[in-house]
Amino acid sequence: MNSLLTWFEDRTGARKLLHEALYERIPGGARWRYVWGSTLVLAFVTQAITGIFLWMAYSPSTQTAWESVYYIQYEMQGGWLLRGIHHFMAQAMVVLLAIHLMQVVIDGAYRAPREINFWIGLLLALIVLGLSLTGYLLPWDQKGYWATNVATNLSAFSPAGTGEPLQKIAVGGADYGHHTLTRFFAMHAGVLPAALVGLLVVHVALFRKHGIHATKPDAKPATTFWPDQVLRDAVACLAVLAVVLGLVVWKGAELGAPADPASPYSAARPEWYFLFLFQFLKYFTGSTEAIGAIYAPGLVMAVLFLMPIIGRWKLGHRFNILFLCVLLLGAGLLTWQALDDDYYAQWHEYEEDKYPEGSDERKAYDAKFEASRTYLAAVEAAHEEAERVVELASSPSKIPPTGAVTLLRGDAKLRGPRLFTKHCGSCHNYQHTRGDDASRDIVNEAPSAPNLFGFGGRDWVAGLLDPERIISRHNFGYQSYAEDGTPRESPLLGGQMVGFVNDTIRDADVADVAEIQQEVAQVVAALSAQAALPAQEELDAKDQAAITAGLEIIRGNEGSLSCIDCHKFGDDGDLGMAPDLTGYASRRWIIDFVRDPAHNRFYGDAESDHDPPNDRMPAFGQQFDDKTLGLIADWLRGDWYEPEADEAEE
Amino acid sequence: MDSTQSAESPSPAATPVRRSFFAAALAVVIGGVVFLAPLASGLIVLLDPLRRKPKPKLVRVTPLDALADDGLPHVFQIVVERDDAWNQYPPEPVGAVYLIRKPGEKEVTAFTATCPHLGCFIGYTQGSTEFVCPCHSAKYLLDGQRVGGDASVAPRGMDTLPVEIKADKETPDALEVYVLFERFQTGKHEKIPVA
Repeated sequence: MNSLLTWFEDRTGARKLLHEALYERIPGGARWRYVWGSTLVLAFVTQAITGIFLWMAYSPSTQTAWESVYYIQYEMQGGWLLRGIHHFMAQAMVVLLAIHLMQVVIDGAYRAPREINFWIGLLLALIVLGLSLTGYLLPWDQKGYWATNVATNLSAFSPAGTGEPLQKIAVGGADYGHHTLTRFFAMHAGVLPAALVGLLVVHVALFRKHGIHATKPDAKPATTFWPDQVLRDAVACLAVLAVVLGLVVWKGAELGAPADPASPYSAARPEWYFLFLFQFLKYFTGSTEAIGAIYAPGLVMAVLFLMPIIGRWKLGHRFNILFLCVLLLGAGLLTWQALDDDYYAQWHEYEEDKYPEGSDERKAYDAKFEASRTYLAAVEAAHEEAERVVELASSPSKIPPTGAVTLLRGDAKLRGPRLFTKHCGSCHNYQHTRGDDASRDIVNEAPSAPNLFGFGGRDWVAGLLDPERIISRHNFGYQSYAEDGTPRESPLLGGQMVGFVNDTIRDADVADVAEIQQEVAQVVAALSAQAALPAQEELDAKDQAAITAGLEIIRGNEGSLSCIDCHKFGDDGDLGMAPDLTGYASRRWIIDFVRDPAHNRFYGDAESDHDPPNDRMPAFGQQFDDKTLGLIADWLRGDWYEPEADEAEE
Repeated sequence: MDSTQSAESPSPAATPVRRSFFAAALAVVIGGVVFLAPLASGLIVLLDPLRRKPKPKLVRVTPLDALADDGLPHVFQIVVERDDAWNQYPPEPVGAVYLIRKPGEKEVTAFTATCPHLGCFIGYTQGSTEFVCPCHSAKYLLDGQRVGGDASVAPRGMDTLPVEIKADKETPDALEVYVLFERFQTGKHEKIPVA
């Protein structure tokens, strides 16, 4: 064994190298304050190890970046831990860098002969920031996408017309796309780490050459790096790792919704350690923006690089310390300001009488609250979207090849309420009328069209055949308006349907009441079954007999309600008087209706024989394609993927 | 004790052995933990594929009428929804089978087109009495047996797949050929599913 070791030693000198590395002299003895450099090495090695494993599962393209990160985070065993460590160690690295830099400057460790090593250290710091910036985009989620978009757009402020070409080179084209990801990934996993390793080797070699910069060389007897300092370094590294692991378990690495250039994202913010720059930029508007974006940070970097020269004088060294303290304090203050701006509405109570109404202070105060509320709402919406897309991606049908953003764009649960609020909610109400489930309500306090909550369901249909409910504000008794905007009674109130319900049901002979009520229940069951609502699937299957009887009544073959006297239903009845009841409230029916409510199949236009004709509802087919109309239809019908329901089926 | 040490030339031997050993052992253990933690988390993720088991799928291949009962192999694509990590693709060809139907018989034999030697696509020229794998010239008779037996490069005969002949739901008179499509390990004498 010994001879083998000697053989190896003769050929490599490994033992001598190891000996030199371990038994480096430390004047003044091992100290805790020397650990920071080693913790940075640990951080880098951790990033390299976890990064290589993440690389094995990551796929940089606009249709696969988010998807592969989702797969790592939610599907692969231990993926959340691996990504979590990489995510939080990156942030720890920035903190450790700041501590290391501060220590070097305060101790004056940049002075001769260590100037070059200080400069290399600054370059290393810039590389680490570059790694953070490039890494932030790679998951291709809304947060990374929009934040990096801002960062690359800032390069447009570069002087002498270099901005646009620089930006194009970085982004890989005029727009963000596949090549943005391939480039950022190559930088993140190839170019920057290689540069970092190269410079780190020189940094450590020079550090060894000059020896440790002992602040109190005579405090204690000198010792060697191994084992006392190594032990301290190891304990410090363990502490860093423990903090990182704690954050992974407590917070977890976030993954927002997939990037969507068409979807506004008001919650876009850079990673917290760049927040000070983000806030700093707010103070520079218009033509001065280049100062905040390029020149001021450039000047700060220039001063940092000049520190070893400035520090030659005693006053210069003090200036350096002061400069760094002001810089870090300023960055801290700006970060706090950025957070306070964003969370203002959450952290502060709105005080109505803080400033007089109409004053400039009041306007600024209100604007601050409003901006914060917008941000907080965007953050909440972003969380909601992120959670929902993960639900959809985890469904048995997985993610389509077009990418997860397609899942979001086609999700009725998420987009339905937004479309409704924007395009339907100004007239229609969407409010539960029975039971306590108000969670889905989109309330319109002054509706001028029927309440669409539970549209097509049995309760909703029953409302149309109930003499009291049909004339309520939730159905036909809404507040209507004439073309010139003057209020008028809902034309449906004086229409044939209300008359029919009054005559046939309300005024039915006492002897016939029970029979009529049974007929109504059967018609309700049959008509509502036309919708084939997912929530009513079991009910429809159970009440087949009632539905069959109801169909006969609708067709006029039985009972006295005969819907086909006015409506068309399948092959019976005619169009032209009242809406077609074939497939009533089914997906197709709703899409066709919303596309053109004044179509002869539905309410008809003013010239038609419909009584009443379409009341003000626009033909949304002119604005939207069937896909979008389908989202509204699906949402109204409560037809979307829910994980619990599917798991129960399995 | 420390005061006896020379500040100029510290030597490891001068440090008390027990304390030094304790510090060294602790440094090694803690250092090991610190570097092994990220490595372990990476390895766990790397080994993720081991816990994913492919499931054989019963695939509709062709109407029975479309398969000539000439006792000769006819190649058919296996078209199914394909899962690939996070994606699910709409039905697309994922492999191929040879179907053989003897004259006048309803019964169908299915061979996977994957060579049990090293996984190449086995070829068949219409009218020939043998299958030939283009990669290493492994030859198989039409019943799947190796030409030359153990002298062949192929470790076993062509892999058969279970076949079901079922009526189509919408047109009950039309019979359809279904094949339980799965993959088998190559290079083994036994037919072992990839799991």
